[in-house]
Amino acid sequence: MTGVVDAEAVTKRYGEVLGLNGFTATFAEGITGLVGPNGAGKSTLFRLLAGQLRADAGRLTLLGQPAWGQGEFRRRVGYCPESLALFDWMTGNDFVTTLLRLDGFSRAEAAERSARAIAEVDLTADSDRRLRVYSKGMRQRVKIAQCIAHDPELILLDEPLNGVDPVGRAALSALMRQLSAAGRHLIVSSHVLYEVERLTDRIVMIANGQAIAQGDLHRIRDLIDSHPHVIDLESPDPRALGRALGAWDHVVSLEYPEPGRLRVLTRAPDTFYAALPELVLTEGFVVRSVRSADDNLDAVFRYLSEGRR
Amino acid sequence: MSISAPRYVQGPVVRVSRSSRTFAIFEREFRRRATLGPLFIIALTWFIVIIWVVTTVYFATLTGGSIRSSFEAPYESAIWGLLLLIVTAAVGAGSLADDLGSRAITLYLSRPIRLADYLVGKASAVGVWLLIASVGPECVAAGVSAALGFTSTSTALVVVGAAFAVGLVMAVFFTGIALALSSVTRRSLYAGVAIFGTVLSVTAAVSVVSGITGNADLLYASLASNTQGIAEAAFGLPAPYATDPVWSAGLMVATGVVLAFLAWLRLSRIEVVGE
Repeated sequence: MTGVVDAEAVTKRYGEVLGLNGFTATFAEGITGLVGPNGAGKSTLFRLLAGQLRADAGRLTLLGQPAWGQGEFRRRVGYCPESLALFDWMTGNDFVTTLLRLDGFSRAEAAERSARAIAEVDLTADSDRRLRVYSKGMRQRVKIAQCIAHDPELILLDEPLNGVDPVGRAALSALMRQLSAAGRHLIVSSHVLYEVERLTDRIVMIANGQAIAQGDLHRIRDLIDSHPHVIDLESPDPRALGRALGAWDHVVSLEYPEPGRLRVLTRAPDTFYAALPELVLTEGFVVRSVRSADDNLDAVFRYLSEGRR
Repeated sequence: MSISAPRYVQGPVVRVSRSSRTFAIFEREFRRRATLGPLFIIALTWFIVIIWVVTTVYFATLTGGSIRSSFEAPYESAIWGLLLLIVTAAVGAGSLADDLGSRAITLYLSRPIRLADYLVGKASAVGVWLLIASVGPECVAAGVSAALGFTSTSTALVVVGAAFAVGLVMAVFFTGIALALSSVTRRSLYAGVAIFGTVLSVTAAVSVVSGITGNADLLYASLASNTQGIAEAAFGLPAPYATDPVWSAGLMVATGVVLAFLAWLRLSRIEVVGE
């Protein structure tokens, strides 16, 4: 394995609880999404990468160095933890400057870099306010500022968009893409799956402390074509439509979640999509919308994690 | 909201040494504790001790009493010890507990610093505040007494030296206690209560037990007795002392160092687990 981050059978226990359970994955250059539900082990992996936890078993390297420890190579890594707790008594500018000084920058250089990083996350106007008055979104942004201010090669972002408003999310996503374009490698975790999907096609999916899939999102999507696929339809007469669809072999089940809506579970989505227009035309059904509930990462994750139980 | 594209123009970066990075931690921690509560307690300590010492020295000049004994008087009282205990709780209880409680320690330790650097930075900040509280008032009192003609300049300088010697020992001891107890909890309030509870209960228990049994060796477990012993010797008072000053100083410094080491041990094993 020769990725930016390589994990081989990494196990981390918290007493009786398994944080990571033989986690094996390779994180390539560019942006990689680490996707999984809460409690899947994402933050444990980040803390292991940040050198704050020590793996009980397995091998974990980042930038070719063992992850455990506080060596000088930490300068090449930027870490944005999930926790929103900061040094509340500091101003945003003090916060970033202090952490830069711990990276070994002189006072003047730290101040200059801090101002630049704070500008990059659009916090300049608030940089002299204390962190205790920052909103959740501002805290996320100042955390990202401290994470990129020392110009690291590898940037670890644990749930970076959590709590950020939609406009801020778009802006931060753009920043992440810019960082990647500038040659930085990013590992971005999220349980809000569509955000990662919009950021990158390359993902590592984690559940119960294990990597359940990794690689190109679309290829992963192909892997699950054999699983039942959920399709939502809107129709003024969903029951009549349902009776017709129920006759198809590949339709596993029908649900009527609310008036005017029909949810179909099919084992052959391609066949379904091909045959639906003909059915509508020949039988005269009115279908106002067709939407696949499985077109996002959430569905991919759900299928894969259920398949491993 | 707009976010500008980052510009990475990597020039030659001169990195500062580990000691400079440790100093950055010290500087922030020191400034962090400069809040109303600790400053009030320290100001109160200064006010009480300065008035006390200058007044005692003045009356000693009138009655022909011992000047050095007058300067040493606060160490014989439980009041100063109690004030220093309050200062310790105010500046030291949250030194590690606050970072652990907020998990902000992860931000420190994700940088290229060692746990020892982090602890040294924190300990230095607590220690300097304690030195300000413990040495400062005696120095000012000596200066004022000399300026008012109550004592000679040479005696005042001896007093300053003695105050530094005793204050340094006390600062090491109290810093060790603060770090150790602050490392075992995530709440500074609990650490503060523990600092008080531990020192006061041990001191009280030792006084009672040594009084009942008549065993003077037990006094080496008492902060008050050790401080008195060291101060009496440092200020040049005639023997016998409450305790052997060398043993007392060694014991207090060793206790402070061991407690600081325990804090390091505790932090090195702690895993900052999130929500």
